[in-house]
Amino acid sequence: MAKFRLDRYKPLLALGLFFAVWWIGKPLVQSFLQISFTEFQAPSWVATSHLDGLAGFWARRSHSKVELIEAGKELERENARYQIMRQRYRTLEDELSRLEAMLEMPGRREFRHEIARVIRREQSAWWGRIIVRKGRNYDIRVGAAVVFAGGVVGRVTEVHAYTSEIDLITSPDFRIAAQFEDDPRPVIYQGLPQDGFAKPHGEVRDVPQDLLASSSQPIKLVTTSLGGTFPAGLSIGTVDWLQPGSSGIFQSGAVQLDPRLLQLREVAILVPLEAGTHSHVF
Amino acid sequence: MYFDPRSLLFFGANALLLHCMLMLGSALSPWSIFPVLIGPMLIFPVLYMRHSAYFLCALCTGLWVDAALPVPFGLLTGLFLITGAITFMLRNRFRAEENDHPCLLAHILNLMVIILLAAISSGKTQHLFDFWIQTALCAVASHLLLLAIAPWFFNLQRLLLEMLHLDTKPEDLPHL
Repeated sequence: MAKFRLDRYKPLLALGLFFAVWWIGKPLVQSFLQISFTEFQAPSWVATSHLDGLAGFWARRSHSKVELIEAGKELERENARYQIMRQRYRTLEDELSRLEAMLEMPGRREFRHEIARVIRREQSAWWGRIIVRKGRNYDIRVGAAVVFAGGVVGRVTEVHAYTSEIDLITSPDFRIAAQFEDDPRPVIYQGLPQDGFAKPHGEVRDVPQDLLASSSQPIKLVTTSLGGTFPAGLSIGTVDWLQPGSSGIFQSGAVQLDPRLLQLREVAILVPLEAGTHSHVF
Repeated sequence: MYFDPRSLLFFGANALLLHCMLMLGSALSPWSIFPVLIGPMLIFPVLYMRHSAYFLCALCTGLWVDAALPVPFGLLTGLFLITGAITFMLRNRFRAEENDHPCLLAHILNLMVIILLAAISSGKTQHLFDFWIQTALCAVASHLLLLAIAPWFFNLQRLLLEMLHLDTKPEDLPHL
């Protein structure tokens, strides 16, 4: 009779033992391992990002002086334009504060803009996220809103010591309350899996029946302060088509997002300020 | 306990492959393509080392991958250990000295990873046709890339074993 060899089943026994330990020590073991492994590999990404910056620096060094002078002139013009905008912004802020004080309105939620460099982008049918080079060291918090020149980027989902993970607005897990420009009624924006080689898009739901959109007259979807995460009025995208939703009561439609979303290099994280502190965009 | 220094080498190579995969994914993100090149990571540890060393290497690699991707922590570690245990029990049927069998195993494991990622990611969107089209596109791109990357990766691992004067022969040779 052939001898029963227990050592043949060693891999299965080890596997069973591992799953037992994993399951019993689930909260402690998992969180410890997750934090350790994530923090351990973060420096490699930060280093890659710095190397990328260095490569960019050397690439720019190869530009001719004439090109650099032209770029400098262009920047000078932009600077002048932004200085005028800054003055205008401050005047409007003062005016707004004065009116709010007169009407005894409750204070608005203020944010600090923390500019962060994108070190990794991941966009697929399964998830959409970016990782930026700032984390707890810059007081970034989970749930903070992330924006760029074209509008909403997403929301911070994980904060590590030196990096943060941001769920993109295109991610199927991303959902926020929104509203159409000039229409205060709330609707829901939902991220969708992205098609390859197509512009980024999402979906708007719970749109009232009386709203109309067409390709000749698209309507702009903006954030609302209802959710508490995003300040009101930030651009999400445009809707040029609405159709009756599955319930028949509301409409739904595709939201065209800013194409620059998939090539972001820098974003601004909105860190909420304590009451009584004022934000400085410029 | 017997410690095999090859497990460190294989883990290092796996970390390098993951880093390259994520850099490539970052570059391809404007086209919403995320290449999955995880298949080759488990093959040499399973085919070359004894059980304790393979298990340690597969566990560390799985946790490393889990920490890098937005999946429930432990998901790919579990997959690595389950498929690793099955492959380990059958490993004397595979030739590790040549690339044919390792490449085939790498493609099978990679496909399993893609199916698992598609299955667990956002159940709300699985009914969408776009989701499956994009998943199929990612799978095709990943496996086309793997045709070139898997042999390169295995040759790199063999080269490193030789350079570091480590044992270049698998623990169990195949039955002929």
